[in-house]
Amino acid sequence: MTALSNTPSSPVPARLPLFPHLKRRVNLTMVMLALIVIGFAFLLPFYWMIISSLRPLSEWYARPIPLFLNNPSPSNYVQLFQRADFARGALNTVILCFFTVTTQVFFCSLAGYTFAKLRFKGREGLFIFILGTMMIPSGVGMIPNFIIMSRLHWIDTYLPLIIPGIANAFGIFWMRQYCQSIPEELLDAARIDGCDEFGIFWRIVIPIIQPALASLAIFTFLGTWNDFTGPLVFLRSPDKFTIQLWLSVVSRQANLFQPHLVMAGSVLSSIPIIILFASLQRYFMAGLTAGSLK
Amino acid sequence: MVTAAPASTAAARSKKPWLRNSYPYLFISPFYLTFVLFGLVPIIFSIVVSTFDWRGVRPGDFIGLQNYITLFKEPNFYKALSNTVYIWLGTVPVMILLALVFAVLLNSKFVRWRSLFRTVYFLPVVTSLIITGLIFGMLFSTSYGLVNNFLVRLGFAPIQWLSDPRFMKLILVIAILWRWTGNDMVIMLAGLQSIPPEMYEAARVDGANEVQNFWYITIPLMLPVILFDLIISTIGTFNLFEEPYALFGGPDGGVRGSALVTGLYLYSNAFVNARFGFGSSIAWVLAVIIFSLSMLQLKLGSRKAQ
Repeated sequence: MTALSNTPSSPVPARLPLFPHLKRRVNLTMVMLALIVIGFAFLLPFYWMIISSLRPLSEWYARPIPLFLNNPSPSNYVQLFQRADFARGALNTVILCFFTVTTQVFFCSLAGYTFAKLRFKGREGLFIFILGTMMIPSGVGMIPNFIIMSRLHWIDTYLPLIIPGIANAFGIFWMRQYCQSIPEELLDAARIDGCDEFGIFWRIVIPIIQPALASLAIFTFLGTWNDFTGPLVFLRSPDKFTIQLWLSVVSRQANLFQPHLVMAGSVLSSIPIIILFASLQRYFMAGLTAGSLK
Repeated sequence: MVTAAPASTAAARSKKPWLRNSYPYLFISPFYLTFVLFGLVPIIFSIVVSTFDWRGVRPGDFIGLQNYITLFKEPNFYKALSNTVYIWLGTVPVMILLALVFAVLLNSKFVRWRSLFRTVYFLPVVTSLIITGLIFGMLFSTSYGLVNNFLVRLGFAPIQWLSDPRFMKLILVIAILWRWTGNDMVIMLAGLQSIPPEMYEAARVDGANEVQNFWYITIPLMLPVILFDLIISTIGTFNLFEEPYALFGGPDGGVRGSALVTGLYLYSNAFVNARFGFGSSIAWVLAVIIFSLSMLQLKLGSRKAQ
């Protein structure tokens, strides 16, 4: 607790308490203690998920169920990997993520760049319109969307999960912010060299906006990976299920005992997200606050 | 070929300026196309659908406002509404307060390990909503739960947290607080960082203490951010769906529908019972409620700020 001694050398306060430094130290210690306890409370559910995933089937019948693992075992994970439906769900989710990420990054950056750097009639109005659509309650359109998708014969395909979001308002807003910092001279030089507008975007702009592309790719990946409602509404056949859908279906099979598999599956499906988050934390938090503060 | 390429683009430029001028519109068109087809048309169309006895994909008879009249006579609708209000009262005020306190503490230079705490408090936000539900189902499970483990060790009888109507909503509230508080906290952190430090400097010179700083500088300047958090949390509560779905094993809100919230009610009517017309009327009534609440909060918030 050495940090507690770095109390600021503040100017003399108006009223001098009897032991000013002691009081501040006690308060700070209390605050730190509270923060640590709350931190453990936030971690506790993760602890229980991991413990439950490593608890071999034979130990699930002990009462009360042990708080710690006497002999942690990977048996649940082994069993999980032997199930074709889990592997299939994981593969499907990866494929779906690949398509949402590539299409959204492409179309959002193209539109974002256009709004930031090209001059055309109605630019401001069209952009404000895009921002305005973010306020529309999307839930209202859910049923008609389903009807439209079924008329297009898109039910039980990944198209309803990919196509509506290819050029979404948040992505365009995000890319436009970043593209505004591209130096004008670079684009003019390319134009003089006879590069067409799409060539400029593809050869000049894309390479220099890579950090923004990466963060948009992360948000999109996270959104698709964790999505449940979309796949639940639009997918039908079990061989097309995503991981989230698989978890929910398996956890609802009340006639089979498989909470140990559900917990192992939950841990596995959280791992990519946690790794991404841990390594790119700054981008995550920046994206979260981008929409909230003008 | 090599020399011909620039010449042909130059020709295209001089001959067809409309082509060159239309590039920007072409580049932004995917948004408007998808928005019209999957955003605008469905919203307008849903008003139409809500006036039909529309079951499944095929339209039924036009019945005017009958769906709305049925809805307002439906006891389950009021149950879902009152459950949602319960969840709102249990989560939103607590969450806003906690998020603000966490943000202020984790923004203070006197607190150690700030980035570690931020990471830990934010970690639930990247966890999927289904997994959130499943984890809390495991924590509060009658036989395999951590909570009942403690109860049994302390000599109490295990409690059926997830099937006893007295506790079901409470568990949902706890799960929501765990999952979403970090989200509001990060937004508030960004808000705090935009307050100029000179304001606190000036207050310190005038002899203000930390508590006074909090009440007279932080709170008033943070009011717009708090309001933003309040509105998104309110919208989130009325759309609540995946957490209770995973926690209570489906869209019916568990035993006696004790955790039936508006999001589940809409889903089960629309997609389980395939009552598209009736479901659309629920969606519209909910949209009106959410919109009115947001406006009310904005009004109250801007009056306070004056």
